[in-house]
Amino acid sequence: MTSPTSSVVDAAPRPPLTGTIRLRLRAPSRLRNLELLLLLGACAINAAAILLVQLGAIGHPDWSLATLGIGLSVLVLAMHVALRVVASDADPFLLPIATVLNGLGIAMIYRLDLAKGFEGWDMASIRQIAWTSIALVLAIAVIVLLRNHRVLYRFRLTFALAGIVLLVIPVFFRPVNGANIWVQLGPFSFQPGEIGKIALAVFFAGFLVTARDSLSMIGRKVLWMTFPRARDLGPLLVVFAASMGVLVFQKDLGTALLYFGLFLVMLYVATGRSSWILLGLGLFLGGAFAASRVLSYVGGRIDAWLEPFARANYEGNGGSYQLVQGLFGLSNGGLTGTGLGLGRPDITPLAESDYIVASLGEELGLVGLFAILALYLLFVSRGFRIGFAGQDDFGRLLAVGLAFVVGLQVFIVIGGVTRVIPLTGLTTPFLAAGGSSLVANWMIVALLLRLSDSVRHQPRTVIE
Amino acid sequence: MGDLTLFILRLVFLAVLWVFVFIVVFALRSDLFGQRVRRLPATASAPFPTEPARPAATPRQNAVVASRLVITGGAKEGLQIDLPEEFLSIGRSSDSGLVIRDDYTSTNHARLLRTEKGWVLEDLDSTNGTLLDGSRVSSPTQVPLNTPITIGTTTFELRR
Repeated sequence: MTSPTSSVVDAAPRPPLTGTIRLRLRAPSRLRNLELLLLLGACAINAAAILLVQLGAIGHPDWSLATLGIGLSVLVLAMHVALRVVASDADPFLLPIATVLNGLGIAMIYRLDLAKGFEGWDMASIRQIAWTSIALVLAIAVIVLLRNHRVLYRFRLTFALAGIVLLVIPVFFRPVNGANIWVQLGPFSFQPGEIGKIALAVFFAGFLVTARDSLSMIGRKVLWMTFPRARDLGPLLVVFAASMGVLVFQKDLGTALLYFGLFLVMLYVATGRSSWILLGLGLFLGGAFAASRVLSYVGGRIDAWLEPFARANYEGNGGSYQLVQGLFGLSNGGLTGTGLGLGRPDITPLAESDYIVASLGEELGLVGLFAILALYLLFVSRGFRIGFAGQDDFGRLLAVGLAFVVGLQVFIVIGGVTRVIPLTGLTTPFLAAGGSSLVANWMIVALLLRLSDSVRHQPRTVIE
Repeated sequence: MGDLTLFILRLVFLAVLWVFVFIVVFALRSDLFGQRVRRLPATASAPFPTEPARPAATPRQNAVVASRLVITGGAKEGLQIDLPEEFLSIGRSSDSGLVIRDDYTSTNHARLLRTEKGWVLEDLDSTNGTLLDGSRVSSPTQVPLNTPITIGTTTFELRR
């Protein structure tokens, strides 16, 4: 009945109950084999995407990128090998999904470089490939060095400090495109807030594990919901104030929304109280309304969202020009797209970073865009699944938080580009050009893999 | 490169993208829809000698935290496992710490949590319920030592 189990008869003398049998079940490397298969498929898809871009844009294959592509594939396979050795029970889907998304992003950035006629290191795609390799090396380092995720719990306050520092640093640097979220050192620029979201997710998880009881047990019942006491509102108000600070001083709507949403959802998951969501949404709507009245750039975003085709918005500075170009691109793509390398996504400003979704939507069409969304959906659902199956509360909360932050970021960006919500400047995870975002998201992959390994990697008993 | 070739390649690429998505979905279907139910083979219950005249659970014993789980009824009667440090999930899902695959067990059926006072049993909205000493568990309940817990056709006790 228990074919794959290896029964280990306990040798230690015990009271004669029966023969004491202990079962230890180690999942075979079936998971890793599945991952290898999916990874090879992912690399093939990425190579095909680059090839199609070349056929579409310049009419013939160009092998100059081949060595770089092979290099990246080798790094991804190195990560796979690292998983075989140090995390053999990790989730087999996260790595292939992230690989496909990253590769599609590189293909689209390369396509935009071709349209703009860049060469060598001017090409955003070359830089993106370089950043991807750095991100992969860091992810492998996280997997290899971090053997037990509970170490993170011990350092939760360090992570809190790191998160705050990473949030505040950009204030001392020059703003780029209005938003004060960049650190520029010579030719390098970095968005520390992207790494900050991981640090804050770790801190929130650690904090909520310790503070959960007072936040979830006590309260006053109004209608069918139990509301927390006024003094327990402290953490929520602090995070809200921090988000508003980001909104005012760094002029970055997306990051503010991301941090606040992350905390709210982790609070909800930790306490299981819908009243927190209600309170949080109330605070958020109040804050958003105030911000749209007081802060001109927020008001401008909302006007551009509501009336993108109005002449004043379209031609105004910081108006809806980009949004409308993105929408035109998406509509030009239609159902099956113009084909890779055959559209005109380069017309849209920032087509390779904030608007990469519109570019992909134009060339791959609705069908391709939905495949990308399905990949994100699978990625986030795997993260939730890891959280749900987790054995310790800190790991559970951390997995949910990390998965949700990716999901929320996708919603904020794609929702902005497709005019579901006002446009905010965030990077699309894995797809968009930008080193800090890639590094942060690959670290999230590494952390989720580590968490999923410790979920599965424990003695298990099967009764059937 | 002809337009027709490019057109076909474009559609093929989209198809391949979706094939990848569906391979992933197919591979994780057991997670999405739960493990398939397996019928219990009608085993002649193995003649395990039970502990003679088990001492009744006394309140004093509750202070001692259980360290092992002994299966006292069902297919694996007599099996014992060491309890993990703080958490044991029970259910049909293969992610569970204790996997019970029978017709009556839900994918995520129940869990045992270690608290300062001992183990607490929590039913995770299972279809057929979890019985602690014959009564259904509706809220997280402290588990005394040597008290039968029944999930599906399996009964187990926590022992020192």
